[in-house]
Amino acid sequence: MTTSSDRPVPDHVGDPGAVETDLLRFLGKRTGRIWTADADVFGSGGLSSLFAMELVVHLERTYGIAVRGSDLRMDNFRTARRMAALVGRLRGAAGDGAGA
Amino acid sequence: MRESVAAAASAVTALVGDRASGWDLAGRLPEDVVRELGAAGRLAAQIPARHGGAGWSSAESGEFTAHVGSLCGSLRSVMTSQGMAAWTVERLGDPAQAAELLPRLAAGGTAAVAFSEPQAGSDLSAIATTVTVEGDGVLLSGRKKWVTAAAYADVLLVVARMGEDGAVVVVPRSAPGVEVRRVADPLGCRAAGHADVRFDGVRLPLDSLLGGGRQPLPLLVTTALAYGRISVAWGCVGILRACVTAAAEHARTRRQFGRPLAEHQLVARQLADLWTAEQIATRACEYASRCWDENAPDVATAVVLAKYVGAGHAAKGAAAAVRVLASAGARDGHVVARAYRDAQLMRIIEGSDEMCQLILADQALGRR
Ligand SMILES: Cc1cc2nc3c(=O)[nH]c(=O)nc-3n(C[C@H](O)[C@H](O)[C@H](O)COP(=O)(O)OP(=O)(O)OC[C@H]3O[C@@H](n4cnc5c(N)ncnc54)[C@H](O)[C@@H]3O)c2cc1C
Repeated sequence: MTTSSDRPVPDHVGDPGAVETDLLRFLGKRTGRIWTADADVFGSGGLSSLFAMELVVHLERTYGIAVRGSDLRMDNFRTARRMAALVGRLRGAAGDGAGA
Repeated sequence: MRESVAAAASAVTALVGDRASGWDLAGRLPEDVVRELGAAGRLAAQIPARHGGAGWSSAESGEFTAHVGSLCGSLRSVMTSQGMAAWTVERLGDPAQAAELLPRLAAGGTAAVAFSEPQAGSDLSAIATTVTVEGDGVLLSGRKKWVTAAAYADVLLVVARMGEDGAVVVVPRSAPGVEVRRVADPLGCRAAGHADVRFDGVRLPLDSLLGGGRQPLPLLVTTALAYGRISVAWGCVGILRACVTAAAEHARTRRQFGRPLAEHQLVARQLADLWTAEQIATRACEYASRCWDENAPDVATAVVLAKYVGAGHAAKGAAAAVRVLASAGARDGHVVARAYRDAQLMRIIEGSDEMCQLILADQALGRR
C-alpha cells in the first residue's frame, strides 16, 4: 500500500466538520449502523481490528495523509470527532513528508 | 512483469539451482544464499526506493514471491518474514525509525516477526510478553514460538503488551537475554529457520519501540499480518505452479497401459483440477495485490481471502500432484513431496483456515 498524497483530494478537507460528516457517512455505509460524532467506535460491541485497518486506509486514501507510527494510537480513532481532528492535524503537517 | 522483476526471477532461479531438495532434507538454508538475496534487496522488494529498497508494487512483489515459492518454500518463508518486518517498520515506526531500519533490511540485514506464544496461538489477545519503560530504556520479557526465519535474523520484531495497549519492539538477536532455539524437524518449509525465542529481562534503548509503542494490540497484529497473509498467499500460488509443472511433465512422459498418463481421463482430471486451483489462487492474489497497490479500504479482507483460497487450493493441488506422480514423487525432498507438506502449514500460519473462516463469515454477515 502506498500513501496517496498525489491523489486529488476533495476541496472541503480542511474543514473538520465536513471530515466528521464524511466519516460518519463512511461508518454508516460500512457497518449498517448509525453513529454519532462522539460514539466509541471500538468500545464494547464496537468494531473489529480488521475494520480498524480499513478505517486507517480509508483516512489515508480519502484525505491524502499517511497515518504512521505514533499516530496509530487508539485515542486518535476512538470516535469520528477524534479521527476528524487527526485528519486535520496530519493535513496541516502534510508537505513535510512525515512518514509518507 | 516489469523487466527488473523478470531479471530478479532468473537470478533467483540460478541462485537456487537444484539445491532446494537438499536444503529441505538438511533443514537448513546456506546463510550466503539468504544474505545474497537480501543484499540484492530481494527479500523485501516492496521497501520504498527512498529507503533504499526496490520499490516494487505488491503485484510485482507477489509474482516474484510466487516464483521463489515455486522453487523453495523455505526461502519464500524467509522472504515473508523479512517483508512483514519491513512493512511493520514502515507502518508502525516513526519516520526516523523507518529511515534507520529500512535501508538495512533492503541491503542484507535480516529480520523476523514474533507474535505467537505458548498460550497465544490463534488468540493473540492472550499475548503475555511485556515491555515496560524503565528509566531511559525498556525492559522486555516473554517467550515466543515458531518464529519463521528467527534462526537467520539479525533483528526480531517482537509484539508485546505495553500496559493496556500493545507495542512492537525491535530486538537485536545478539542482545543479552535473547535465546533462540530452532524448532526441530518441522513438517514443512523445513529450512525456514523456525525458532522458539526467549526474552529474559532484555534491556533496550527507548527508541526500540516502533512509533513509541502504546498502539492498540489488535491493530498492530492486523497491520503486520496483512503483509504476511498476502505473501503466504502468493507463496501458495508458487506451490501450485510447481505442482502443475511437475504433474504435467510426468503425465506427458510416463506411460502406462500403452499410453501417456495424461491420456487416461482420470489422470487428466487431476491435471485440470490442479491447473484450476492455480488459476483461482492467482486471481485471488492479483485482486488482493490490486487492493494493496490502490490502498483500497477492503485490503485487509482481500488478503485474508487470498490467503484462505491460496492455502486451501495449495493443499488440494499438492495432494493431486502426489497422486499423479505416485512413487516418482513419494520421497522427501521431491518438489511435490515438499509442496504436500508445506501446503499443510500454510493452512495454519497467519490465521488458520478456521480463523480465516470466522473473518470471512463476518464479511458475509455484514459484521465489522
Ligand atoms: C510453519 C509455521 C510458521 C510460523 N511462523 C510464525 C512466525 O513467523 N511468527 C509467529 O509469531 N508465529 C508463527 N507461527 C505460529 C502460528 O502463527 C500459529 O501456529 C498459529 O497462529 C496457530 O496457533 P496454534 O498453532 O497455537 O494453534 P491453536 O490456536 O492452538 O489452534 C489449534 C486448532 O484449533 C483451531 N481453533 C482455534 N481457535 C478456534 C476458534 N475460535 N474457532 C475455530 N477453530 C479454532 C485452529 O484453527 C487450529 O486448527 C508459525 C507456525 C507455523 C506452523
